Amino acid sequence: MDRQDPHGTARFLTRLQRRGRGGRLKMLAASGAAAFGLTAALATPLSPAPQQAQAADDGKKTLTVAVAQSVDSLSPFLATRLVSTSVHRLMYEYLTNYDPKDNHAIPGLATDWKPSPDKLTWTYTIRSNSKWSDGKKVTAEDAAWTFNKMMTDDGAATANGSFVGNFEKVTAPSATELVIKLKKPQATMAALDVPIVPKHEWESVEDFSKFNNDKKFPIVGNGPYVVTDYKADSYVRLKPNKSFWRGAPKFDELVFKYYKDGDAAVAALKKGEVSFVQGLTPAQAAALEGQSDIKVNDAPGRRFYSIATNPGARSKDGEKFGNGHPSLLDQKVRKALFLGVDRKTIVDKVFQGHAVEGKGYIPPRFTSYYWEPSDSQEWAYDPKAAGRLLDEAGYKKNGDGKRVGKDGKPLNYRMLCHATDPNDAAVGKYLKEWWGELGIGLKLNCLDNVTDPWLAGEYDLAFDGWSVNPDPDFVLSIHTCDALPATPKDTGATDNFICDKKYDQLYAKQLAEYDEAKRATLVKQMESRLYDTGYMSVMAYPNAVEAYRTDQIKSITTMPEKAGNIYGQDGYWSWWSATPADSDDSSGSSSSTGVVIGIVAAVVVLGAAGAFFAVRRRSTAEDRE
Amino acid sequence: MTTESTAPDERVPEGPPLGEEKSAPPRLGSARALAWRRRRQSAARFWREYRRHRAGLAGLGLLLLFAAVALTAPWTVGSDVQSVTDAPGRPMEEPSAEFPFGTDQFGRSLFGLVLWGSRVSLLVGLLAAALSVAIGALVGITAGHFKGWYATVIMRVTDWFLVMPALVFAVALATVMERSLLTVIVAIGVTAWPTTARLVRAQTLAVESRPYIERAKALGGGHRHIMSRHVLPNVMPLVLAQTTLGISSAILTEATLAFLGLGDPSLTSWGGLLQDARQAGAVSSGHWWYLVPPGLAIALVALAFTLCGRAVESVLNPRLGVAR
Repeated sequence: MDRQDPHGTARFLTRLQRRGRGGRLKMLAASGAAAFGLTAALATPLSPAPQQAQAADDGKKTLTVAVAQSVDSLSPFLATRLVSTSVHRLMYEYLTNYDPKDNHAIPGLATDWKPSPDKLTWTYTIRSNSKWSDGKKVTAEDAAWTFNKMMTDDGAATANGSFVGNFEKVTAPSATELVIKLKKPQATMAALDVPIVPKHEWESVEDFSKFNNDKKFPIVGNGPYVVTDYKADSYVRLKPNKSFWRGAPKFDELVFKYYKDGDAAVAALKKGEVSFVQGLTPAQAAALEGQSDIKVNDAPGRRFYSIATNPGARSKDGEKFGNGHPSLLDQKVRKALFLGVDRKTIVDKVFQGHAVEGKGYIPPRFTSYYWEPSDSQEWAYDPKAAGRLLDEAGYKKNGDGKRVGKDGKPLNYRMLCHATDPNDAAVGKYLKEWWGELGIGLKLNCLDNVTDPWLAGEYDLAFDGWSVNPDPDFVLSIHTCDALPATPKDTGATDNFICDKKYDQLYAKQLAEYDEAKRATLVKQMESRLYDTGYMSVMAYPNAVEAYRTDQIKSITTMPEKAGNIYGQDGYWSWWSATPADSDDSSGSSSSTGVVIGIVAAVVVLGAAGAFFAVRRRSTAEDRE
Repeated sequence: MTTESTAPDERVPEGPPLGEEKSAPPRLGSARALAWRRRRQSAARFWREYRRHRAGLAGLGLLLLFAAVALTAPWTVGSDVQSVTDAPGRPMEEPSAEFPFGTDQFGRSLFGLVLWGSRVSLLVGLLAAALSVAIGALVGITAGHFKGWYATVIMRVTDWFLVMPALVFAVALATVMERSLLTVIVAIGVTAWPTTARLVRAQTLAVESRPYIERAKALGGGHRHIMSRHVLPNVMPLVLAQTTLGISSAILTEATLAFLGLGDPSLTSWGGLLQDARQAGAVSSGHWWYLVPPGLAIALVALAFTLCGRAVESVLNPRLGVAR
């Protein structure tokens, strides 16, 4: 810059500043508008434009399901999330299925199954009218190969290893005969929830722990639907399997569309962009209740919703890892924490009645396995007793009302929470206050991906929940020592690193018990044991709150048929049975309140903008030429 | 490089631009008293000028109101308003005499929450703007003072930050760091400084080209002396105006981050309230009273700071006020 010419410099500077000012002004105007727009957009739930998603082109009937969970893997050997296992139900036929009316086992890929007198050899008759979508016939060899793979390859046993842990030998003497030999009797033989995959497609897979089955489309399968396309965190697209032995589904296409935001999914439902939404909040359910063309389904859920404590993460080889809080190894501390939780308030306030108060492990919907603690055994809400327990455990309150251990450090816990589940953050607020009164600090760690810290054992507490199958074997198996990861680097089937000898003995016993009543007794004993160890506390069994458009879906099967759920069934009944509605009338179901609010918001925004510019104009009146 | 710029040491008696201050009457009292008198005079002059900006006054009034609300919140509403276990109402109640803005999904009074939320929003806005302007001023002054390779490198870094979408960068930062108030402040602070840096550098170049800087150098003034005693006071007006304007965008960014769920979930802020509303499904179920108050509060505070900032800017920068 030339020092000789201060004027030139000054002029240059002015220009430069003007430009800077202009830029700022624009930015601020833009951000101000964005703030107004945010308010307006939020207050305007929907545009009244009638949408006819179905009849968009050539009358193709598409069933679009909004899901909030992202697919963890399309490989049935790895997938454990509900959305993925639901898709697998549709892609692959299992040996048996569950009756939609009362959950008893009915033929799937197997038409018949019977045990030998010693109950150690099971013979399945494989149906001859099932075909892979590439035209090849499904044989017993495919099933045998699937099971053998899971028995010999640890990578392939990641998701469903619990089913084959007790298998000695699986053979296919003929194309229609599958023989499974067991080491010990196993009660889940009519409920093997294992997708059978085509051997000719999967033989070439090298590393089952890495292969996600999402490169080659359509994915060869024999279920009611065939996956034709998949994009992570976006959608799974399926088309009906015309040669499905039970009959082809009636829709022309089924799409699982990923919506990170529940409100966006509900707005899409109102506009008709999606046909089905699940996981509604109480406010959303109440608002949708009165809408025409929309049916809200509020069914007792098959999920439990719980707090899990880190019992000291470890692997099967005995190595400890992670950094769980050492105080949680003390059962008294865990008990105190759970005594400080008022489950009834959670059901009333957070779920607003769309849930049942949590007691035992398995939801009451499964009557034969439901167990609840007796009055003397129950850890009911009792903050005073909780305080006493903490005193006993050596965590006394200091001057600030905080519990401190012998090392003088205050008790502060980290809690993993799913950023995708609003209930976690809401319940977390209550826990923070209840435990705060006990003198315990809580820090919520809400993440999109809780899996990584969870598997690494880097948490103290966590929000936990599983869907329970009619046969509870799987959800029971995830708390056995056998489910721990082989080494700290591996992924185990374990839920939260629980390993208890007594529980394991009971687990082995119930697995070997063929008498249903006796088995149920054993399962209840397991639940009781799990309850007493205090590694987890079930807070509630949330209802399945879902809604669908009646102008797109004419009928759909719930499971159980009476007061049952639609999404995440134990079987493919809902999506297989869904029949499209005649799409002749257009949906004029825009909510008038939405429109009114939209107009009001628009007026407010315009008024504010007008006032702002009037002021600006006046203040710069002298500036203008 | 030993160019750490110190905080503006206002207590130093000598006035910044030597050339302009020569005419000060050389009578009565110590140099210190003289400086203070001059400062009082210029403050009065500033206020006289500022009063002529009606929009600026309106913005200031609004700001004082919000500041009063935020500062007195512990006594007017109290931190109990955040408590979910002692919530007084039923979930999602409509506005009524008892709850002027209705209640949220826990039955807490939204009126109280909006008042309480002003504390976090204003705090983050002020600190983040201060941080970003501090970084910007430091970079701008050093880049303008040390020309050559240092300026080239640091200005390219500035350009890089300038072209990067600030929100994306802030989201990335807030994701990898722990979720706390500090994270949000840092995330906003380190993304919003490049504009300030460019403006300050330009002003520094202009100031350094004036003859009295050369005189100071001839008298043995070092880098540090020149930058802190001569350049800094001269770019101060620009920095001040920039801060005021930066606060409003910082508040908006804070609200955006909280709305995207990247704030500290245990704190009540306006953006956090919007996020809670979205998670509770208030948008699709038409509970407008959950959304409009925090949204309007964000817009109003941002507007107030903008109005003030523009008024301050035109008072401090004579070139902008020439026509008056």
